[in-house]
Amino acid sequence: MGEMIQLFGHSFIAAALLSLAIGVVGSLMLVNRYNYLAASIAHGSYGGVGMAIYLGSSILLGATLFAVALALLLAYMTYHRHRHLDIFIGVLWAVGMSVGIIFTDLTPGYTTDLMSYLFGDILMIPSSDLWYMAVVDLLAISFVALFYHQLLAIAYDKEFALTRGLPVASLHTTTLVLIALTVVMSIRSIGLILVIALFSIPPYIAERFAKNFFGMMVLSIPIAFGIIVAGLMIAYYLDISATAAIILLAALCFVLTFFKDPR
Amino acid sequence: MRLPAVEVKELYFRYDKEYVLEKITATIWDKEYIAIIGPNGGGKSTFVRLLLGLLQPTKGKISVYGRPPLEARRLVGYLPQNVNFNLDIPLLAREVILQGRLESGKYRFGSEDMKLLYQIAKELNIENLLDRKISDLSGGERQRVLLARALITKPKLLILDEPTASVDIASQKRIYQILKTLSMTKIVISHDINILLEGVDRVFYLNRKLFIHENIQFDIQNKEGHFCEMELFEELRRRCDG
Repeated sequence: MGEMIQLFGHSFIAAALLSLAIGVVGSLMLVNRYNYLAASIAHGSYGGVGMAIYLGSSILLGATLFAVALALLLAYMTYHRHRHLDIFIGVLWAVGMSVGIIFTDLTPGYTTDLMSYLFGDILMIPSSDLWYMAVVDLLAISFVALFYHQLLAIAYDKEFALTRGLPVASLHTTTLVLIALTVVMSIRSIGLILVIALFSIPPYIAERFAKNFFGMMVLSIPIAFGIIVAGLMIAYYLDISATAAIILLAALCFVLTFFKDPR
Repeated sequence: MRLPAVEVKELYFRYDKEYVLEKITATIWDKEYIAIIGPNGGGKSTFVRLLLGLLQPTKGKISVYGRPPLEARRLVGYLPQNVNFNLDIPLLAREVILQGRLESGKYRFGSEDMKLLYQIAKELNIENLLDRKISDLSGGERQRVLLARALITKPKLLILDEPTASVDIASQKRIYQILKTLSMTKIVISHDINILLEGVDRVFYLNRKLFIHENIQFDIQNKEGHFCEMELFEELRRRCDG
C-alpha cells in the first residue's frame, strides 16, 4: 500500500483537481449539450501539441492557444452559421488532428510517443501541470459561482434568456473557452481521445440523483474522484494502462446507471 | 384616452428573399387581450419575436409602450413555445420562476425576489410545485410554472406563444381561466381556436399579411353557441387574403 501511495502521489492530486473540473465544467458541458463541440476542441487541440513540438515551445502553451482559438471559432460558428454546423465541427476536429500529425512528422528527430497525448497517463503528471490544473479549476469555479443563475437560465431556455437581456453569446463563448482549458489540462492525465467520456459520465450519473444543478456539480466530484482512484488501483493490481482502466470503469458505472433508470 | 401598448407601422420582415410579414400596421391598446391565430408559417412567432426585440424589422417600426422593443424588455413578460426548453438540466420549479427576475448585471436573488416568488406562486396556486424538479412536472404544471416566470417580472405586456400546446384539456381551461383574471395587456399566439371563446377582445389573423377581426365575441354569440372553428378560420383566411 505504501509503495502504491508513493507511486501515485502526484496522481492523487491530479485526480482531485481533475475531479473538480469534471464536476464543474463537465456538468456545464452536459446540460448545455456541448459534448460534440467539446470533443471537437479536444481532438482539434492536438494541432497545438504538434505545432508546439515543431517549434520547440511549451506543449501546454501550444495546446492552450490552439484549443482557445478553436473554442472561439466554434463559438462564432454556433452563433452565426447554424446550417451544417455539425459538418463544420467535424471538419475542425479532423483538421486539428491532421495539423498536429503533420507538424510532428516535420519535427527532425522527434521520438516521443504520440500515444501519451492521445491517451494520457495520469501516473506521469509533472508538478507544473498540477499548477496549471489548479489555476483552471479556480477559473472554472469562479466563473460558475458568479454566473450560476445566468448560465442555468441560458441552458434551460436560451430565447427567454435573450428577452431578459442576458449576455447569452459572451457566456456561451466563455463556457467554450473554459472547456478548451479543461481539455488541455487533461491532456497528460487522460489524453485527448478519452477526455470527453470522463467529463460526461460522472455528471450523467450525478444528474440521476441530484435535485438541482448545484447538487449535480457537487455530486459529480466524488463520483469522478472515486472512478479515477478505483481505476488507478485496478490498473496497479492488474498491471494494465491506468487511463483505459479508468475509462472502462466509468463506462461500467454509466451502463449500470442507465439500466437503473433508462430515461 | 386609451394608451397604446404596442404600435406597429408598415412592418415588413424577411429571413431570406421572401417576406414572412408584409405591410403590418396595428395598434394594441393597454389592457387589451389579443389572440393571434393563423396557419403554420404564417408569421405568428416571427411577429412576436419582433415585438420582443429578438429580431429586427426589415422595414417599418415597432414600439412597446412608446419605446423600441429592446428598451421595453422590463415591461414585457414572455412565455415561449414549450419546444424550446432543455429538460436535461436538473432545475427546481422555484429556480425556473426566479429566472424571470434575471437581467444583465444581476447575479443573485434578494429578499424582494423571494417575496415576489412566493406571491406569484400563491396567486397561481403552484406553491406545492416549487421544490419539484421541472422535468418531473406534467405539461400543465410546467406551463403554470413558466407563466409564473413570465409574471414575476410584473409585466405591463404579457406575450404567450402557444401556452396550451401539449397540455390536457383540464390544464388548458385552467390556463385560460388564469389569463382571464390577469389585468395587463395580453397577446396570445394559439393554434387552439377555443381561445376565442375565452374573452379575447380582438383576433389577429396572421398569414404573411394581417387581418384584424374586431367583433369576434359578437360573431360567436350570433352563432347561438354553435361555434364552428373551421368555418371561422376559413372566413378569416378569406378576409385576410382578400
